[in-house]
Order: sequence, then structure tokens, then C-alpha cells
Amino acid sequence: MSATLGFGVVAACALLSAVFVVRAVDLIRAVLWLGITLVATAALYAMLGASFLAGVQLLLYVGGVMTLMVFGVMITRRHEGIAPTATDTVRPVRGAVVAAALFGLVAAAIVNTEGLDEAPARALAPLTLADLGRSILVEHLLAFEALSLLLLAAIIGAVVIARRRDPGPLDEPTEASR
Amino acid sequence: MSALGHGALYGAVLIAVMLSTVAVGIWFERKFAGRMQSRLGPTIVGPMGLLQPLADVVKLLQKEDIIPAGADRALFNLAPILATIFSLGVAAVLPLSPRMIAADLDIGVVYMLAIGGLMVVPTFMAGWASNNKFALLGGMRAVAQSISYGVPLVLAVLVPVILSGSLSLAGIVRWQSEHHWFALWPVIPGLPAFALYFMAMLAEANRIPFDIPEAESELVAGVTTEYTGAKFTLFYLAEYVHTLVGSAIGAALFFGGWDGPFAPGLHWMVAKTLALFVVVYWVRWTLLRLRSDQLMELCWKWLTPIGVALVLFAAAWVQFAPQGAL
Repeated sequence: MSATLGFGVVAACALLSAVFVVRAVDLIRAVLWLGITLVATAALYAMLGASFLAGVQLLLYVGGVMTLMVFGVMITRRHEGIAPTATDTVRPVRGAVVAAALFGLVAAAIVNTEGLDEAPARALAPLTLADLGRSILVEHLLAFEALSLLLLAAIIGAVVIARRRDPGPLDEPTEASR
Repeated sequence: MSALGHGALYGAVLIAVMLSTVAVGIWFERKFAGRMQSRLGPTIVGPMGLLQPLADVVKLLQKEDIIPAGADRALFNLAPILATIFSLGVAAVLPLSPRMIAADLDIGVVYMLAIGGLMVVPTFMAGWASNNKFALLGGMRAVAQSISYGVPLVLAVLVPVILSGSLSLAGIVRWQSEHHWFALWPVIPGLPAFALYFMAMLAEANRIPFDIPEAESELVAGVTTEYTGAKFTLFYLAEYVHTLVGSAIGAALFFGGWDGPFAPGLHWMVAKTLALFVVVYWVRWTLLRLRSDQLMELCWKWLTPIGVALVLFAAAWVQFAPQGAL
């Protein structure tokens, strides 16, 4: 009972901070609220017995992605006092439609997962790291490699876009040689 | 006693011990720095100036608590508290002796990296919330440095993980006490991995030669420029604790932690930790501060490729080394 209550409290934290992410006027504050959402999600993982996933979530998302976001915000925006974001241009109807569609998609995926009824979460044997590694690098190797390739393409794309927009003095000889 | 009560008691003792170590560490650093610069260091308060840290703390706590105009008050006040929590939080997985581990997590290494990685959040929050250009610049530098040096840090830590086949800090120390210390054998991924870890740890803890986030000659005091009194004390404390815990983890990962002859395990662990802690000071009062671009160049052009090579070598060692060599 107390476990369920704790789970509920953490889940509420995640949801509430997610609302604050969207509602925050100040972009840096929005990113910090996002940090709380990500930490709460990590706590949910840990409560469900996926402690490795929780650790990785903290390490990559809070320590890495969030920090990168902060850095991006800081070097691209002016900071004379508090710079408000343009939240008034949000279109509520379109947003609601997209959110509902996404919710339906995820819910359908969860409901259609095989073996969900037979094995409730508590009865599952704890997953060892070796199982996890085997699952990623043996069973789902193709998907794993495809994802890696996708991320690599994204990195190269980002570099190309960043170089084009800002032709500094160092880039000029490269452009000329092409 | 219940598990919760046991954990709370152990945590309280651990925190008290760490804070006293930090107090003595401050005295030691001032003495050490004095000697290296042909001075005496503190001599007035207490015998050999031993009570100097106490006087420092009393002085700091008496100072006026100033919050700058235009500061983001909530974040400004939250930052030093979070910094202290995160730096002390890593200590939970420290294996002090075979039986003294606050939380022997099977993913201790991941936990340590994750909580250590969070340290940048309060640093940045402080820099941003202060509404001060120096603080903001310091915060930006801290973020850039933390993202960059997190990569070689993880790579260096992966070497003992691969060699021992365990993600638990206690498990890694146990493996070393049964076989050999990783800093000694296998020499090639072991010793350079320790050097890499040590450099990345210095950078993550903002220590010289990697302390550009608070480079006092250019940024006044970086992110802590606007902080006074108790809040400044918390930041100062967090930085010392970060270094102390980093030294302890280095001792556990590469120098066999509690392993050693004649004396109990706790003594060895403390001795090794303090030895590394002294090396941090030694480096600090010997080397110069790196420039911002040199810092990035060192990380991305040297440390990261070397780290990748070391991880590959460690994997190859585990796979192909003859059984007797392991």
C-alpha cells in the first residue's frame, strides 16, 4: 500500500513538473523543471526495479541532455534581465489534437503488448545486467545498430547545419577548396 | 534496528566524518600551500594554527546574507543546498571497508557517475540566478567543462569495470583484493586509466589546473561571486567534499580500496584516500590554470581518444589475455 502511495506521489511530481515545463515563462526555469521531471521518471524506474535504467536516465538525461539544453539556451539567447518565451503563440486546439493522438498511440502500444496480463510487474524476476546486455547486443542488435546509425546521421547533420550558418574565418579555405 | 534507522545513523556518521575531514583538510591545504611558497601558513589560532578552520567557519557564518537585486531568489537559495546534497550523496556508495558501505548498490559506479554528473546543475543555477556577468560566464564555463570532461571520466571508470566485470564499487575492490590492483596490473589500461580518471575528476571538481569556472584573475570568483556567508560556505564545502569523495573513489577503483597487509581495511582505505587528496593539493599549488580553449582541446583531442583506446584495450585484455595473467 505504501509502495503504491509513494509511486503515486512520484508520478504526480513528474506530471506536475511537466506542466510547469510548458507553463514556465522563463526558458531556463523550464529547463530546470524538465530536470525535475526527468529525476522523477528515474525514480519511477528505480521503484519498478529497473535501477540500471534509473541510473542511466540520470546520467544521460539530467547530467547530459539537460545540461546541453541549458548551454544551448545560454549561448543563443540574450540575458538582460529575464527573457520571456513566447508562450502566447501556443495553439491549444492543435496541441490538444496532437497530444491526444500521441496518447492514443502509446496507450495502444501498451495495451497490445503481449503477456501483459499473465505477468504483473511484481512477479517479474529482477533483470540482471547480463540479460540486459544480451537483449540489446544479441536479440535486438539490428534495431540497436539502426538507432546508432540514425544518431550518427543526426550528429553529422547538426555539424553541417552549424557550419553553414556561421562561416567563420577558419571555414573559408574549406569552402573555397570545395 | 530497522534498515532505515541503520541507514540514517550510518549516513549521519559518514557526513560528520567527512565534514571534519574537510575542516582538517582546509588547515592542511593552507599549511601545505604556505610551505610550497616558503611561508608558514596559519600559526596564530590554536597550536600550529590547528583551530584556524573553526575560526574561518565562525567568521563566514557571521557575514551578512546578501541576495543581489534582480536575482532569481528561489534558484539563488536552492543552488548551494543542492550542491551540498549532491556532493555528499556520492559518498553513499563508498566502500570504506568490507563491512562499511552505506549502500552496496549493484550499480554503484553508475550511481556515482549519475549523482556526480548532477553537480553541474547547482553550479549553473548559481551562475544564472546571481544576475551577474561574472557568475553567468563562470556558469557557462562550468557547463561546457562538465559536459566535456564527463566523457573521459566515464571512459576511465569503465576500465576497472570491464577488468573486474562488476558495476559495484565494493565488487571492484573485492576483485582487486583477490587478484591485483588495477593501477599496477595490467599496466597499460590500468595506470593511464587512473591518470585519466584523476584529470577528469579534477576538472569535474573545478580544481586547478581545470578551475576556469571560478578563475579569480578574470572572473572575480566565478559562480560564487555574489554568494556570502553561510551559502558561500556551503559551496566551499561542496567543492572540498567533491574532491575528497573523488579521491576515495579513485582509491577504490584503481588502488584496491581497503586491500592491504597488517592493518584493518578501513585504515588502508582512509590512507589511500588521503594520499590522493594530498596529490590534488600538490597539483593545485604546482600547476598553472589552463586557458578555456586549451581545456577543450586537451579533453576532446587527447583525453577522449585515449580513453576510447584504453576501454578497447581493457576489453581485449579480458577476452584474450592468458588465464595466468589475469
